[in-house]
Amino acid sequence: MEEGTREFEEKAKKVFSAERKEDIWVLIISAIAVILGLAGIITKNTYPSLFF
Amino acid sequence: MATMEKEGLLKYIPGLLLCMILGWLALQWDESIHGWQKDLQECQKILKADADRKTPLPFDEYKLKGEKYQEQMALYRQNILKEEPKKPHILKKDVYESLIATKEIPFKYKFGNKMLEFQLTYVAILLLGGMLIRNTIGIADVFKPGTVMARPIIKPGIVLLGGYYVWSNLLKVGVPALLLVVIFIFGTVVLVSIIGRKMKQDDGLLGVMAAGVGVCGVSAAVAVAPIVKSKPRDFFYAVGTILLFGTVGLFTFPYIGKALGMSEPVFGAWVGTSILNTAQLVAAASWYGHDALLTANIINIVRVGFIPIVVIYCIWFYIVRNPTAEGRGEKINSLQIIIDKFPLFILGFFAMVTLNEFGVFTKDHQYIFGKQLLKIFFAIGFAGVGLNIAFDDLRKAGGKAFVIGFFAASLKAILSAIVVMLLGTDVFRVK
Repeated sequence: MEEGTREFEEKAKKVFSAERKEDIWVLIISAIAVILGLAGIITKNTYPSLFF
Repeated sequence: MATMEKEGLLKYIPGLLLCMILGWLALQWDESIHGWQKDLQECQKILKADADRKTPLPFDEYKLKGEKYQEQMALYRQNILKEEPKKPHILKKDVYESLIATKEIPFKYKFGNKMLEFQLTYVAILLLGGMLIRNTIGIADVFKPGTVMARPIIKPGIVLLGGYYVWSNLLKVGVPALLLVVIFIFGTVVLVSIIGRKMKQDDGLLGVMAAGVGVCGVSAAVAVAPIVKSKPRDFFYAVGTILLFGTVGLFTFPYIGKALGMSEPVFGAWVGTSILNTAQLVAAASWYGHDALLTANIINIVRVGFIPIVVIYCIWFYIVRNPTAEGRGEKINSLQIIIDKFPLFILGFFAMVTLNEFGVFTKDHQYIFGKQLLKIFFAIGFAGVGLNIAFDDLRKAGGKAFVIGFFAASLKAILSAIVVMLLGTDVFRVK
């Protein structure tokens, strides 16, 4: 039981915790997206071109 | 060491790819049904006009409205026209001619419209589909780490959505949001603490439960768990209860909102206050509509910003003022707690609002960031959310923790629904 709970706790932490490292990655990815958008590399037509 | 690290990163790739593929399929579905709905509306308009006019327009004449739009757009870009013209939806030649000849609307257009009436957008498809896959055929172990990793990909979407607001929007909704957060979230934290004490429950359990049910689901529970020295069993009960309530809310609140006639901003305020986890509330709000998402996002930002404050409260309530606790009477280093526990991604959101305030983003940028890229990030994240709803995990909610947590969360949801509906749409409308 104790083993199972630890495993679950670890899993829950991994799945959901908003850790600092994760947030830094979020900021990096967002910054890249904004730069690509402002530079005109991603345009309004990029998204529709991904679909049939 | 380097090989281990490489293997560590490689293990996420299959699951991430799976979420990307599922996300793409769901977005393809979403694009199709929205397109079919537009086609249906256009077909209905054409049939009505033809019925009035008696003689239908030939296709070459019909498609002229597209050219007229281009001309008007050129005038708008030169600032001659003040209002941006609305882009007309033009049917394909074969569809138009078949419609004129048969007067019958193709079935798939009606089907698309029906799917949207049932709110079966990409959000629903990914959440329901992911949950179904996970709990029937299951997912192979090789995919699991990556699907877990996909969940936080929702967050860049939240940051990019910041480009949609200016500070006045944020203050307009932020002030009532702040009041809601303080009243309901701290009300729940205090309620759980009091009920739990009356039910003679352990402080470790009540601490994680109060933080989890009151503020921000599992993130807050994780932040508080080491402070209140909760046992693994307590943590596991709390997480199970939070997960179960969030999942029930995610799938039922959009339909309850529709049944109660909630407008999108009111619904956004409601889920922002009552659903306990960022991913789940973003999913529920996106399911309801873009305006619901705009409002829910502000409330969520205010709410997760409160995590450090709730941690400080829990230290005070369970340790400093508790005569039996280890470390009682100690001074709290509030600044250090705020620095340690503050969710950094909020700063990205505020940076986007500030850039928009200074006019860095055009309308096209706002559309790209707040509607298109946001959908891509959300779709990958929601695939992760759906694939991680395992009934086995939900069954782990148990004991008195479940009773306390579910009661407090349900009470908060009911009371906040009443309050946001009384306050009305105007208070929570962002734009």
